[in-house]
Amino acid sequence: MRACQPTVEGVVERDGVAVRFERYGEGEPAILLLPTWTLVHARHWKMQIAYLARHFSALCFDGPGNGGSYTSTEPAAYSDVAYARNAVAVLDAAEVDKAVLVGLSCAASWGLRLRAEHPGRVLGAVFIAPAVPLMPRLPERRVQRFDAVFDDPVDWEKYNAHHWKTDYPDFVRFLMGRIFTEPHSTKQIEDATGWALETDGETLVASDLGLLGFDERTTRKLAARGTCPVLVIHGSDDAVRGHGEGAALAELTGGELVTIAGGGHFPHTRDPVRVNMLIKQFADGVAR
Amino acid sequence: MRARLPDRTGVVDRDGVRVAYEVFEHNGPTLLLIPPSAITHGRVWKGIVGTLARHFRMLITDGLGTGGSDRPLDPRRHAPAEVNADLCALLDAEGVDVAVVVAHCHAVPWALRLAADHPERVLGVVAISPEIEVAREHDHWNPKLAPPGWDLHNKSLWRTEGGYRKWIEFFFDQQLPEPHSTKQYEDGVGWALDTAAEAKIAGDAGLGEPTADEAEQLCATLRCPMLVIHGSVDLCQPVARGIRLAELTDADLVILDGSGHLPHARDPVKVIRLITGFVHRITGEPMTTTTWTRGRSRAKRALYLSSPIGLGHARRDVAVAKELKTLHPELEIDWLAQDPVTRVLEAEGERIHPASRWLASESAHIAAESTGHDLHCFQALRRMDEILVANFMVFQEVVEEGCYDLTVGDEAWDVDYYWHENPELKRGQNVWLTDFVGFLPMPDGGDHEAYLTTDYNAEMIEHIDRFPWIRDRAIFVGSGQDVVPDTFGGQLPAIRDWTNEHFAYSGYITGFTPPDPEEIPAIRERLGYREDEMVCVVAVGGSGVGRALIDKVVAAYPLAKKAMPELRMIVVTGPRIDPATFPERAGLEVRGYVDRLYEHLSVCDLAVVQGGLTTTMELAAAKRPFLYFPLGHHFEQNFHVRHRLERYRAGTCMDYATGDPDDIAARITELAGKPVDYRDVETEGAERAAHLIAELL
Repeated sequence: MRACQPTVEGVVERDGVAVRFERYGEGEPAILLLPTWTLVHARHWKMQIAYLARHFSALCFDGPGNGGSYTSTEPAAYSDVAYARNAVAVLDAAEVDKAVLVGLSCAASWGLRLRAEHPGRVLGAVFIAPAVPLMPRLPERRVQRFDAVFDDPVDWEKYNAHHWKTDYPDFVRFLMGRIFTEPHSTKQIEDATGWALETDGETLVASDLGLLGFDERTTRKLAARGTCPVLVIHGSDDAVRGHGEGAALAELTGGELVTIAGGGHFPHTRDPVRVNMLIKQFADGVAR
Repeated sequence: MRARLPDRTGVVDRDGVRVAYEVFEHNGPTLLLIPPSAITHGRVWKGIVGTLARHFRMLITDGLGTGGSDRPLDPRRHAPAEVNADLCALLDAEGVDVAVVVAHCHAVPWALRLAADHPERVLGVVAISPEIEVAREHDHWNPKLAPPGWDLHNKSLWRTEGGYRKWIEFFFDQQLPEPHSTKQYEDGVGWALDTAAEAKIAGDAGLGEPTADEAEQLCATLRCPMLVIHGSVDLCQPVARGIRLAELTDADLVILDGSGHLPHARDPVKVIRLITGFVHRITGEPMTTTTWTRGRSRAKRALYLSSPIGLGHARRDVAVAKELKTLHPELEIDWLAQDPVTRVLEAEGERIHPASRWLASESAHIAAESTGHDLHCFQALRRMDEILVANFMVFQEVVEEGCYDLTVGDEAWDVDYYWHENPELKRGQNVWLTDFVGFLPMPDGGDHEAYLTTDYNAEMIEHIDRFPWIRDRAIFVGSGQDVVPDTFGGQLPAIRDWTNEHFAYSGYITGFTPPDPEEIPAIRERLGYREDEMVCVVAVGGSGVGRALIDKVVAAYPLAKKAMPELRMIVVTGPRIDPATFPERAGLEVRGYVDRLYEHLSVCDLAVVQGGLTTTMELAAAKRPFLYFPLGHHFEQNFHVRHRLERYRAGTCMDYATGDPDDIAARITELAGKPVDYRDVETEGAERAAHLIAELL
């Protein structure tokens, strides 16, 4: 059973594609839980929704390629511009004027774009484990070559288009080990693996290519244009996107940084209580 | 002493009538606190100001008729419009654009009018125990229906000799229905009687409280967020008024169940947290860059609090902490401590929590409470109430942020008291350490002091009966025999029986090992003491309170020297007494500070000291003859320490009041260098205490 059921389940059509969204609760402000990379869908917010719906209202939607929204094998469908348009369409459809954004990992891209381009609709933005191209790759990821063909890829060599298309479950298995560096994460790994296996390697390749346009220059430009408050939450032991990325984003946006010492890349599922309380404190502050 | 002094005081003068106020500077939002003058003044906020001033900018007015303000007798000068103008003038004078206004009782309508007339200046209102006509008042304000006592609310009576005091004493008794409110009662009566009946009569006459209709209209015009705090057993203002006011203004309502009319005085911790939460809600709680460590990633951490009254606690606590670290090498210990404890901790390389700088000084308070050779330590502790609550709030913030597994409080009165008063705030395991149990009255305090000590003991006993889970372990530094044979007073149990049931015994903790007899000659030589001289060390501890005793002993010196020519007297004055202010005499040396004083004490031929536990027990452990003079009115030194020393057959108790230089000289010559038959002082105390604590980790 879910902890709570949606108040509204809807589908909004945006430029000919259908975006599925859910609204939980009636309170103000709305917390817009952004989709992240296609690896998982909106269920990854399952530990946040009931709590946020009780204090505010929670709004979430699936991105392309995984979950109940449209799918595509065209990289353009996965650009940050497309995600931002989906988000605005969902806000319109749910009749939400202003929201607090919460985004995980590469949702920082569309989060930053929404914050910069729709200042009237964004009260504040929480970036959890943000993936932003502000720092060099983590040392262990320097072996990764997305377009190469490895016979028997190991470790981050598995972050590779060919491998995803040939042995997607193996990549998922590997990545889960890097996302959840905290001991005793079996349930979180099972959940995320299940969501990941609802899509396929082909789609993931397209989604990854779609993100390429979000380079350092774009990041800095959009971060500078936005004005609303920012909170960054980043695990000290994040083995997917280093803690330095979160710190750099906080600095760039003038936001506050909360470090989860001992935390990995999915702190919202692994330390949901602390993350929920941080989101609430932040939302209370920006919505007063 | 106050927990914190204002950064500035100011006066607004409107047409020659002056209203006094205090300012506590801070970058945060401004809070304007309005007391219900002329029944009381700005000091009524003493329990909450020290803490709020760490988070907000504070403006505290005395209100007309009280404190530092003028006492106009024309009722028209007390009219609501005039009060409103005074408050605006104050805000103008301080350049305050917007403020959150906190008001109590009949100051609440003033705050509401300010918010209604100047909505742009009032961010929010906290109304505590509001006196406002939105619901019926208690019958006892109606002369025809008033129960006994309330008829003292009578202007004619107030104008008679002692009449106003009668009313005030009755009234504050009614305001504090909570048991064990003696200190709040004394404070309230004292502040009320700071002013004369005529000023209060003028204030009442000019009060111009809104009628029921006016009050409802006033509420309807308010737009700012509000918080109403009201005690369920408020005998001055019925809680129905707070409830109705909250309905009419769409305010947050917090009913304090079991509280009377003065929750900010009687439950300061709760009220501070409510006000802080409200202000943060309306102004935004600042998010701060910080680290939260996952539970599994945390090292075991302890927060150690060591009472700063005397240095004895510091040394024994360092000894216990060292033993604790041998039992749990991974344990990180932070100290929340203040001077002079921090000097010992710094020398030992211990880690002092940075929030320590926020602590209000307990030792300065104790010094301020001392005169001559006298320190009424029970009353001094009572009068330390606002320092204790301010320091507790620092502590609470530290434990909430620091995720400590364990708190050890060596006579940390603030933690022990306020965790029992606010048990939901407890974090982690908690150890209470003390070397005495039971407040005892001094005989010359009469029945009233016995009533007070009994009341304090009863409150402590009730605390522990009701919330046995606040003290996870209570350790008595000593053995069962060291507990005094008295009772807690009244119908309360015998102290020793109760302590046996509620404490574990560690044995005495010296914090140092006394030298073996064969080591003594070498130490004496190193310290410059010859075999053929009688070395008498006179020491009075670190506070300024020792001057009177030193003067008397120095006066005895020539007499003693005459009878004992080999006498050499070393007087150690401590940092607060200037050695240059004593007469020069052959064989008499006056020093301000002596490094490792305990070494001197442990090899001297005689010591003359006050009645403090640590120094006397060091002498007992080192088997030195000594004279000790308990401080006047210091129940701990006069009863608890003396009882313990007698059990060890150690030292000779002297009465400062009756002991003249002749007596002192005679005792010095009689006892210097004489063998003693003291009972051995245990040396395993720190280890035993550490074991008792370590079991909790």
